Amino acid sequence: MSPVLGIAGYVLREAASRKFIMAFMVGLTLVLAVVALGMRIDVIDGALAASRLFGQEVRATIQSVDVALRPVYQASAFIVFYGGILFGIVACSDFAPSLMSPGRIEHLLALPIQRWHLLAGTFLGVMTLALGGTLYGTTGLVLIFGVKTGYWTVGPLVAGLMACVGFAAVYAVMLTMATLVRSAALCAAAGFAVLVGGIIAGHRQDIAKAFEEGLSRSLFQAVTLVLPRLSALAEAAGDMAASLPLEVRSLGTLLVGVFVFGLAALVVGFWRFEGKDY
Amino acid sequence: MEKRQKRRVWLVMAALLFVAAAVLMFAGQGEEPAPPPLEVEFPRRMRQPDRERAERRRTQVLPTPVSADSGTVAERPRPRDPLLAALPRGEGKTAVIIEANALRHSPIGGLLMDCLMRDGGKQLKEFREKSGVDPLQDLDRLVITDEGMMLSGNFENARFKELLGERVSADYGEGARVYEAGENSVTRPDGTTVKRRDTSAIATWNNQLLVVGKSPDEVKAAIDRVEGRGPDEPPAISESSTYGEMYGVLSVEMLSRLIPPEQAALAQRLRDVAKNVELHLDASSDVALVAEVRGPSADDVTDLGKSLGAALSLARIKAQAGEDKDLAQLLDFAKVKPDGDSFTLEMAVPLEVIRERLAICRENRQDAENALDAKEAPQEAGVEQAPVPVR
Repeated sequence: MSPVLGIAGYVLREAASRKFIMAFMVGLTLVLAVVALGMRIDVIDGALAASRLFGQEVRATIQSVDVALRPVYQASAFIVFYGGILFGIVACSDFAPSLMSPGRIEHLLALPIQRWHLLAGTFLGVMTLALGGTLYGTTGLVLIFGVKTGYWTVGPLVAGLMACVGFAAVYAVMLTMATLVRSAALCAAAGFAVLVGGIIAGHRQDIAKAFEEGLSRSLFQAVTLVLPRLSALAEAAGDMAASLPLEVRSLGTLLVGVFVFGLAALVVGFWRFEGKDY
Repeated sequence: MEKRQKRRVWLVMAALLFVAAAVLMFAGQGEEPAPPPLEVEFPRRMRQPDRERAERRRTQVLPTPVSADSGTVAERPRPRDPLLAALPRGEGKTAVIIEANALRHSPIGGLLMDCLMRDGGKQLKEFREKSGVDPLQDLDRLVITDEGMMLSGNFENARFKELLGERVSADYGEGARVYEAGENSVTRPDGTTVKRRDTSAIATWNNQLLVVGKSPDEVKAAIDRVEGRGPDEPPAISESSTYGEMYGVLSVEMLSRLIPPEQAALAQRLRDVAKNVELHLDASSDVALVAEVRGPSADDVTDLGKSLGAALSLARIKAQAGEDKDLAQLLDFAKVKPDGDSFTLEMAVPLEVIRERLAICRENRQDAENALDAKEAPQEAGVEQAPVPVR
């Protein structure tokens, strides 16, 4: 396990040196600071009586604070889920290709580690990065609203963790793509394709009705059966963040399913990487 | 060779994992469509069906007034709704209209009918036979006022004379008959009849309106308003406010009497701050209530709104803590919207919650109907088997 952790640490050091990721962390901190300093919320006996952003009244309705904050947490969960995956695709698309660049890969392959350790370590490093960023953002949000309203919930944190599982499936495909073609652009394209496919797969029952009954519909259903159900996971994350009843039959099974898809994609990467000559 | 075998293991493992992932995701998400989110439509303004309904009810055309001095004919008055014309005039009055017919045909109406007919419809049948009025067919609207109540509908088949025969009655105005206070014969369950003194006065108008009041003067005043002899003030409910299945204006006094004694402080605050309360209840799908509270001081009204919002929030927290999910769900939709010298209170009860609560009524009704059927069946069989009389 230690070689995998070593590679993961290497990836994290690489990320820390990148201005792009640092800028993202600074931007996230700024957004949280703006929300914390610019927002004033009046809560009377658990009811949100008034809220002001930079002195301007933004909400005139008086209702239970958890009900009033539902749309805020739901929107945050969607932003964290889709925004996080999109940012992850862009920010992490060249980690694996640069790791496999000529000169560097030979050096890494010369280390006393197995080839799959390299990919697993890269995956673990990127996932640690995604997890850190998500927890930082969602914990900040929960703390700000918790202190200001007195309403504490772990919903947004759980939603953030679910977003990380979604990103794991996407990044595993990107990593596998890097073993096929050493191109950051193609890795990112593969990530986008999985994201779009995942959104479609989550709504496969509704979309399938648009296909004519027969081969085309069966083909669509067969393809989307394997793809990670990202939109279903995103909606569940939104419901979880807002403390609403879940629409999915079993969240745990869905989460494990999406994660296992990621593992499967990663194992395809292992298979390809093991047979590649450098 | 070993490397190739190892690669094959990865490939097989990947295939197995993809299959496992597909199965897990399929089982986790479920293939059945998700139920639509719980949404409640609040009656905030008149909708097209409400407008059409209001227009259909403008059936009364008053005679065109002729100026006594010049003899010129004034502009022809617009047709109007006689029930709205009969409503009390002026501020601080209570008038709540229940759209009985619309409510009867709403989803909640079916549930309420089960509760009303828990005896299998026996009492309703008796009333129908005695009065000639079928409340389920003939009654359109019911109005509750400070002075009594009014019913509108089709009372052509009503047997008023039989029902109110012992009262002194006289024609009044152009199309009304007023039945003054008198004695009423009431049949007891054992079959004996007793006479009871009824102090209320009743008026009928054109077989369309039935006005019940505390005194003959009150019912005559209502008839005067219908026939255009009333004051010029607008009625308590304007036509533009006739939306929902129940709507109207409640005087603050009346409303504070409805608040439970443990909320006496809130009732007093309402009395001090508010002038009147306009409410609208929609039962076309879920039951949604919108109440607009108005008062002379914007600051006081806003404070009252905040107190009310806080009280509702506290009640919701208590319901959640006490695991009263129904009440917590009901209060999920509760909100207060301040708007200057008024605020709007919105509350809703999802239909499913009411259906669960009233399920016992349906069971009782079915049991009663089955019992009635069982009672009638042997009688019918007995009639068939009765021997033909020999001449």
